[in-house]
Amino acid sequence: MQLKQESNKILSKDHPEVIVCLKDVSVAYGKNIALYKINLDIEKGDFIGIVGPNGSGKTTLLKTVLGLIKPIQGNINLFNQQISGKIPREIKNKISYIPQFTPFDKNFPALVEDVVMMGRYSKIGMFRMPNKEDKEKVKQSLKLVKMDNMAHRPIGHLSGGQQQKVMIAQALATSPSILLLDEPTSALDFKMTKNVMDILKQLNERYGITIVTIHHNLRIIKSYTKRVIAINKTLVYDGSPNDALFDEIIEEMYI
Amino acid sequence: MGSFLDFFYALANYSWMQRAFYTALIVGIVGGIIGVFILLKGMVFLGQAIAHTAFAGAALAILLGIEPLYIIIVFGVIAALGVGYVNEKKVMKEDIIIGVIFTFFMALAIIFITLNKKYSTDVNAILFGNILLVSKLNFIVLLITLGIVGILILGLKKEYYLITFNSEIATVSGVPVKLLDYLLLVLLALTIDVSLKAIGAILVFAMIVTPAAAAYQWTFKINKMLLLSSIIGVISSIGGLFLSYLLNLSSGATIVSLSTLIFLFSFLVSPKRIKTGFTTAECKFCRHVINGESYCLDEPECRALDIPHYHDDKGIIILKKDIRPLSTLTRHKHDKKEEK
Repeated sequence: MQLKQESNKILSKDHPEVIVCLKDVSVAYGKNIALYKINLDIEKGDFIGIVGPNGSGKTTLLKTVLGLIKPIQGNINLFNQQISGKIPREIKNKISYIPQFTPFDKNFPALVEDVVMMGRYSKIGMFRMPNKEDKEKVKQSLKLVKMDNMAHRPIGHLSGGQQQKVMIAQALATSPSILLLDEPTSALDFKMTKNVMDILKQLNERYGITIVTIHHNLRIIKSYTKRVIAINKTLVYDGSPNDALFDEIIEEMYI
Repeated sequence: MGSFLDFFYALANYSWMQRAFYTALIVGIVGGIIGVFILLKGMVFLGQAIAHTAFAGAALAILLGIEPLYIIIVFGVIAALGVGYVNEKKVMKEDIIIGVIFTFFMALAIIFITLNKKYSTDVNAILFGNILLVSKLNFIVLLITLGIVGILILGLKKEYYLITFNSEIATVSGVPVKLLDYLLLVLLALTIDVSLKAIGAILVFAMIVTPAAAAYQWTFKINKMLLLSSIIGVISSIGGLFLSYLLNLSSGATIVSLSTLIFLFSFLVSPKRIKTGFTTAECKFCRHVINGESYCLDEPECRALDIPHYHDDKGIIILKKDIRPLSTLTRHKHDKKEEK
């Protein structure tokens, strides 16, 4: 029995669990094809950067995985479960998403801890109130991004980078297995970008959270991600960011 | 002109005054609650359009000689669904549609009124409202409807809060955003429709927006904002009822004027405005008064609320490079790392 468990462990180390699997997925907006026959496996523990020119379908790809956009063709598997139609709640809670940063009203009535609590709402459910466990989880999430000392500040009074960290904490509040981020650092300066990426790296390495992030800065991609995906309506490259082939493809794609 | 005592005598003895009192109370509370989400969602103009469609409904009902309430409700709900659809599909820019719909329904209302050969006091009653003339039927419908509206909004508070914060995140986390958006518009329409007789078609929307806008000036917490908004709603509606009785003024106009006064006061002394412009605060670490507009980036205990700064090991304020210190700030350094 023990032996079997051991061998299972070894097996799973050699073949990490595939948590997101896209097969021949195509997406269209009306008559415009946005993604064509994408095949993609995301394994547990991956740290993936997605690159591509504007309008290449990066955000569409994330939204398709999230079930916000329905593909016209192909299969999507999340956590070994074929998805057709709505994503079941227990799977939804394992996936967190941080959309592109949009600045909001400076006086919006929300403290940092309220914003993080919003991440728990899907777990709490409608017509219910947050309990002690939820509050504890909010504190933990804020600690993970080192923002616990700002819990009682209005969200609008933080800097862009701090707000982005709060959004990461919000995404962490459901204890997700995978975190999808759409240009998490587009509005930030270099120092803050590194700060945010360091947090993501730590989440990936220490807590085993799979991270998929759209990014424009190739230097950041190369120094942080383990795997990079280049798309331009179709999948152009999928592999190590430090491969010579990747540089070639990038050069081709952006010229 | 009634006297101070007359008011309380009437309140204790006459059912029409008691109805007026409870109507004011309920409209104040529920208008204040729903107003918070209408304000945060930026749907103020959509609501205004709904209020004017309801007036067209009322004019039609008077022309046909039926109880206005039913037709108002039908018109209001249809308008809410229409406005919601237009808003969702982004058929055209929101303000253009609202401008067109809004004036069309006003035109309809005027046609209905002029078609009606007999002069009717009902038109006046609906345009300007009179809280003292709320009928028994109207009051019961108002009680039930606003009860449902209040319970639903408070029950779905979390979800509406998340939608107003970021509707994309709400969708991803499984909140039925579209459904709740339509529901909010329908609830708004119902609130407007049943309050029409009391406050009047022209002014009813102020009962929803003004208390929320006043409450918004005071707090960064949603629960506090909801509570404050309904308190301000109740103060203005009951205070307005009292004043209008005392001074023999139009009840709707008095109520709205009172809430506007509260809004103005809130706006002028708002801690939010003061914090971003005029506050000075002393830093616990370096004992210097600083001024500006954001928080200390670094020391959680630092009471200096203003210029973005952090502290070195000795607790000296380090200012970001492009910030000019005020004369009150004597001991400070500039961020050298950033200057490079």
